Amino acid sequence: MKRKNNAFFRWFFGEEDTLIGKVEMKAQPEYEQKEGEIRELMEERAQLREQIYDVRDNTKLKLFHKMYNIAAVIFCITLISILLVNVSWLPHYGDGDNPVNNEVSARYIESGLQETGAVNIVTGMILDYRAFDTFGESNVLFIATVTVLILMRLDKEKKAPAKPGVEVYSKAEDDMTMTIAEAQANDRIYEPKNDAILQKVAGFLVPIIFIFGIYVVLNGHLSPGGGFSGGAIIGAGLILYLNAFGFEKTERFFTEKTYKWICFVALTFYCLAKSYSFFTGANHLESGIPLGTPGAIVSSGLILPLNICVGMVVACTMYAFYALFRKGGF
Amino acid sequence: MILEWIRFIVGTIILCCGLLIFALEVFGVFRFDFVLNRMHAAAMGDTLGIGISLIGLIIFSGFNFTSLKMFLVVIFLWFASPVSSHLIGRLEVTTDEELENYCEIEDNCQP
Amino acid sequence: MSPVLENAYHVVFVGALIFLAVMLIFCFIRAVRGPRVADRIVAVNMIGTIVMVIITILSLLLKEGYLADICIIYAMISFLAVIVLTKVYMGVYFEKKQKGEKK
Repeated sequence: MKRKNNAFFRWFFGEEDTLIGKVEMKAQPEYEQKEGEIRELMEERAQLREQIYDVRDNTKLKLFHKMYNIAAVIFCITLISILLVNVSWLPHYGDGDNPVNNEVSARYIESGLQETGAVNIVTGMILDYRAFDTFGESNVLFIATVTVLILMRLDKEKKAPAKPGVEVYSKAEDDMTMTIAEAQANDRIYEPKNDAILQKVAGFLVPIIFIFGIYVVLNGHLSPGGGFSGGAIIGAGLILYLNAFGFEKTERFFTEKTYKWICFVALTFYCLAKSYSFFTGANHLESGIPLGTPGAIVSSGLILPLNICVGMVVACTMYAFYALFRKGGF
Repeated sequence: MILEWIRFIVGTIILCCGLLIFALEVFGVFRFDFVLNRMHAAAMGDTLGIGISLIGLIIFSGFNFTSLKMFLVVIFLWFASPVSSHLIGRLEVTTDEELENYCEIEDNCQP
Repeated sequence: MSPVLENAYHVVFVGALIFLAVMLIFCFIRAVRGPRVADRIVAVNMIGTIVMVIITILSLLLKEGYLADICIIYAMISFLAVIVLTKVYMGVYFEKKQKGEKK
């Protein structure tokens, strides 16, 4: 989407505020403090100091503080004992007729292989019977990264100088935020200055890590693994590359745009693949894709593409957390 | 039948050698006085110990996919463990104030 | 396989596991006691390597082939941990030195 030069885009990118000077009906008078107010303020402060903060002279306050500590301890002990008594009434772990071994889990174990086509029942459960929960989890990962981005991102260029007429709420020497250029200069003391041994070995090991991560993702329905653990491995490979080669080389192939596009494509594909049943009347949660022979890689319907989507989101999340905490940007 | 017993005995001997190397490594880490010596003992013991132990376990399990994965572990560790000890040594050299007292550093070394 | 051989395998595996567990406790002692930071990083690396051998022995004891995958993952993660830890501690040291010089 190209950026055009109309009022919406100027407001969107923060260059012009269309509401300045247009909101108030008339100018506000300057604030003058009346004489009686100062005396009232001092009286209020003295009253507060006497009744709430003065522990030495006020005997009622001392007693209250002591009783508060004792009451807190008694309350905690009571609560803990109630919870422990409740726990002792639970049935034995692994008993046959526990409420958890009901028909739902029996159905999953018996006809799991038949209905989902996955040899690994756990993957069949989280990506076929309960696919919406996994969708929510992937979204939670994405939201977490966006939250960290809002809090920890640093400005690219210098901080904007104060425009006339706009109040500045902090003095210049108290401002502790950094720009990205300053953060990069700060980061030089952390890097061990292009260690040649580490670079050679990382150049050999990072492809191995990626291939192994892809193997774990693709074999989610045959052996323990799947999207989450495979994505973590790929993220670890990216972190190793970043540590060995520095930020400039990593930005050649992984920028913020890459991150946005990968997450967008993965989550949208997941959403469309599993929510078509809303449009077809929600009668059966089946897909039209045939299940194939169990034990082959290309089998079990939609589980393989969904594993890949989840893996991509997890890998991007891991790398994004590390880069944001270290440098304040991608 | 005899082949199975030979495989068992050879595998046990090699595995015991590997465990012995681990024992020597832990003993060395406790008895040395300086940090760099301890790191040296740990690095040697780790790499050799896991190599020999995993070769013994490969002999135990025979010729299948699991053995291939164990061999991959050995290759990965033989590349990665020396680099870890190099980085730890570098950390020690740059942060130790009294290194000159008991160690010789050449002139054109950069931290 | 004859039951004698099976029993022998079981004894060897369990003996090796107990021996390695004792080694692990000694490594913990070094991690807690070591006077410098590098001692602790070395001890954590050793604990990781010993745990890798334990996982491999377990995968042969329980006859499940996929536990060897966990071994590779553990190796990668412990290697990465050492790299990031050394980088962080060197950075902390240099920062303190810079602050000391500025004052």
